[in-house]
Amino acid sequence: MRKYAKAVMAATLSSMLVLSACGGNNNAPSGEQGSNTGNQNANNGAKEEGKLDPYKITLVYPASAPKDLELVQAEMSKYLTEKINATIELKPIEWGSWEDKTNLMKVSNEQFDLMFTASWYFLPQDVTKGQYIELDDLMAQYGKDIPGVLGPDFLKGARINGKLYALPTKKEFGQGFGFLLSKKLVDKYKFDVNGVKTIEEMEAMFKTIKDNEPDVTPVISSKFANTWGASNYDGIVAGLSVPRGSKEIKLSDNLEDPKYLDFFKRMREWNKNGWFDKDVLTSDSEVAMTMIKAGKGFATASSLKPGKDKEMSVSYGVDLVQVETAEPFTTTGDAQGAMLGISRTSKDPARAMMFLNLLYTDEKLINMLDWGIEGTHFVKKGDNVIDYPAGMTAETQTYPNPGGWMFGNQFISYLWANEDPNKWKQFEAFNNRSERSAILGFSFNQEPVKSELASIANVENEFIDALFAGAVDPEKTIAKWKEKRAAAGFDAVKAEVEKQLAAWAQNQQ
Amino acid sequence: MPHTSKFKFGQLGIHAFFWLFVIGSLLPFALIVMVSISGESSIEQHGYSLFPSEIRFTAYTFLFHDFSEIARAYGVTIICTVIGTLVSLLVTTLLAYPLSRTELPFRRSLSFYVFFTMLFSGGMVPWYMTFTNLLPMKNTLLAMIIPGMLLSAFNVLLMRSFFHNSIPDSVVESATMDGASEIQVFFRIIVPLSLPIMGTIGLFQTLSYWNDWYNCMLFIDDPKLYNIQYMMTKTLTNVQYLLMKSSSSAQAGDMLAKMPRETVRMALAVVGFAPLLIAYPFFQRFYVSGITNGAVKG
Repeated sequence: MRKYAKAVMAATLSSMLVLSACGGNNNAPSGEQGSNTGNQNANNGAKEEGKLDPYKITLVYPASAPKDLELVQAEMSKYLTEKINATIELKPIEWGSWEDKTNLMKVSNEQFDLMFTASWYFLPQDVTKGQYIELDDLMAQYGKDIPGVLGPDFLKGARINGKLYALPTKKEFGQGFGFLLSKKLVDKYKFDVNGVKTIEEMEAMFKTIKDNEPDVTPVISSKFANTWGASNYDGIVAGLSVPRGSKEIKLSDNLEDPKYLDFFKRMREWNKNGWFDKDVLTSDSEVAMTMIKAGKGFATASSLKPGKDKEMSVSYGVDLVQVETAEPFTTTGDAQGAMLGISRTSKDPARAMMFLNLLYTDEKLINMLDWGIEGTHFVKKGDNVIDYPAGMTAETQTYPNPGGWMFGNQFISYLWANEDPNKWKQFEAFNNRSERSAILGFSFNQEPVKSELASIANVENEFIDALFAGAVDPEKTIAKWKEKRAAAGFDAVKAEVEKQLAAWAQNQQ
Repeated sequence: MPHTSKFKFGQLGIHAFFWLFVIGSLLPFALIVMVSISGESSIEQHGYSLFPSEIRFTAYTFLFHDFSEIARAYGVTIICTVIGTLVSLLVTTLLAYPLSRTELPFRRSLSFYVFFTMLFSGGMVPWYMTFTNLLPMKNTLLAMIIPGMLLSAFNVLLMRSFFHNSIPDSVVESATMDGASEIQVFFRIIVPLSLPIMGTIGLFQTLSYWNDWYNCMLFIDDPKLYNIQYMMTKTLTNVQYLLMKSSSSAQAGDMLAKMPRETVRMALAVVGFAPLLIAYPFFQRFYVSGITNGAVKG
């Protein structure tokens, strides 16, 4: 009897242990390395045009699978069969699962042809591992129209160590920096929002709001500091950058830069004036939008492109206006902001390149991928203007846009009836006036100083949020930051950056 | 009498503690339910609240305008849970029982082999490749039943010890003497005698199948085969991931704007846990009686 009771107890207790073990056991696969990095022969399987074998192209990109995916896939396949005798498999992967899932796909040599990538989305790591094949020869042979569409600057920026591993989407080429303001309050106080404003002019607005609207927070979230940095410095790593406007390629350290210190001092000032929201250390753009919508906030800073205010107004259901505080600035990061690469596991890279070529030139194809099937998912209202078919709304649509900025040439994508019909013209103008960084096209290979960078990032996390939010005294904190950063191996990183930058500059001449 | 009053006082304390504990456990659930039926504007004005200023069921109408997706996900979860638990119990018992019998040749080595897998594993990548390249399980229900869940070495060892310690060899011997075959001994003697351990392991297998989303995330691409837990998890992780990336890419910020609002996320959570919450008390009754049945015997 006692023996049984004991056994039951033991069973229950240990089962609890099992349960807890189950919780701990789902560790994400961390940095597993692919062993097979050999590049495939790029021309493998390519035949003369005209007598192509049937082939299925697999396109992997981050998105939630829409309801009518198969319908659109079938329609695209029909069209592609006519063009290049290929069918397509669309393979959207959830944003949140992307890292786990695609890492395993890559190391297990799963066959797929095209994959979305970007400098902020695993491109540097994947290039080091040899996941993507070089595209220059393929493009010359099967993607002849692409250079003409993209232009030289885009392609220059997309290169890594002088080689092209993925093709950028033609979209906005540069980042503007400024504020999104509540239209209601702008109208009420008749603020002038035209043209580029200095930050001082913005401060006058915030002061007016603070003085006259006791329930309204002038600025929500300080997360924009990164964006501010990106519009003033072409950051490389660890706060090392080439400042905007410098003609020569000379490395500078942000923490030594007086302009950077001034910015922190300004944030300190804003914080002391009570212009930030009370959760400024953690609040993000989503919180900002909610507060503006509720009438409790006035402004939030953001990276800007033409029509950003309209886009955000539609998404969040609150009227916004945007104010630029800086002219747009183009860095390597912007050229590599959204790209498609051809996987080393592709069985027919040539066909994948033909498909890419169509994505940059074929209006019908790109719009099928972006918006679905004409008549079912959208109806045409004009030459390049579309709207929902009768009875369909943004909530009930069965093929929501996966993100036109991910594929090919966004400028031939249709515009919605509620969008500015001149959107793409404005984008073109924006791209042309955006100031190119002196080191456009330089990308830093982090491998040699990987561990130093990790500890420097830890040090940065300790200080950066409080500094951006103006919660601490800038000078003292920066001094402390520098000290810890030096201990984390900053000098080695600096030397490595200088070395790679010099080598790159040499190649440019 | 001081003795009784002290006793009462002590009991009062225990009661108070457990009431507080119960309230503490239930409050988060109540909050999720309330947020899911709050109006958007109520959340914008006052944040999360147990008493929203405005009650709206828009999140549910949004979720249920296309109920087929959720119903399907439930179907997947239920199928995997039922089949998975039953098969897993069968396999675990069938492995554990022989290991408990002293006359099994190579008993020690076999036990050690099972034990060894608890300490060392082949690692993530080979594991994944086994179930995708070697065995074509990608995008099948099997992928949510077998990998990493069907047979736990720990459960096997647990059950082996139970058999070993709680069922005397003489029971088996006497059955054999009466002419029972090994199969008969197993199903007619051993299984009925081991209900407590079966109940315990069965319940925890059920829970782990019901709660699993990781296998679904790794092995399932086809949205028709998503289970209910992954449907919820992906919504949340998508938002988190995009928030994290929104400072490095303007596009990630734009995508964020298209994600479901808070009320919808909470409604999804309610849809996920509500049925289990309702069903659990019934299961629990069987579970408790199962354990006590086993315990008084002997």
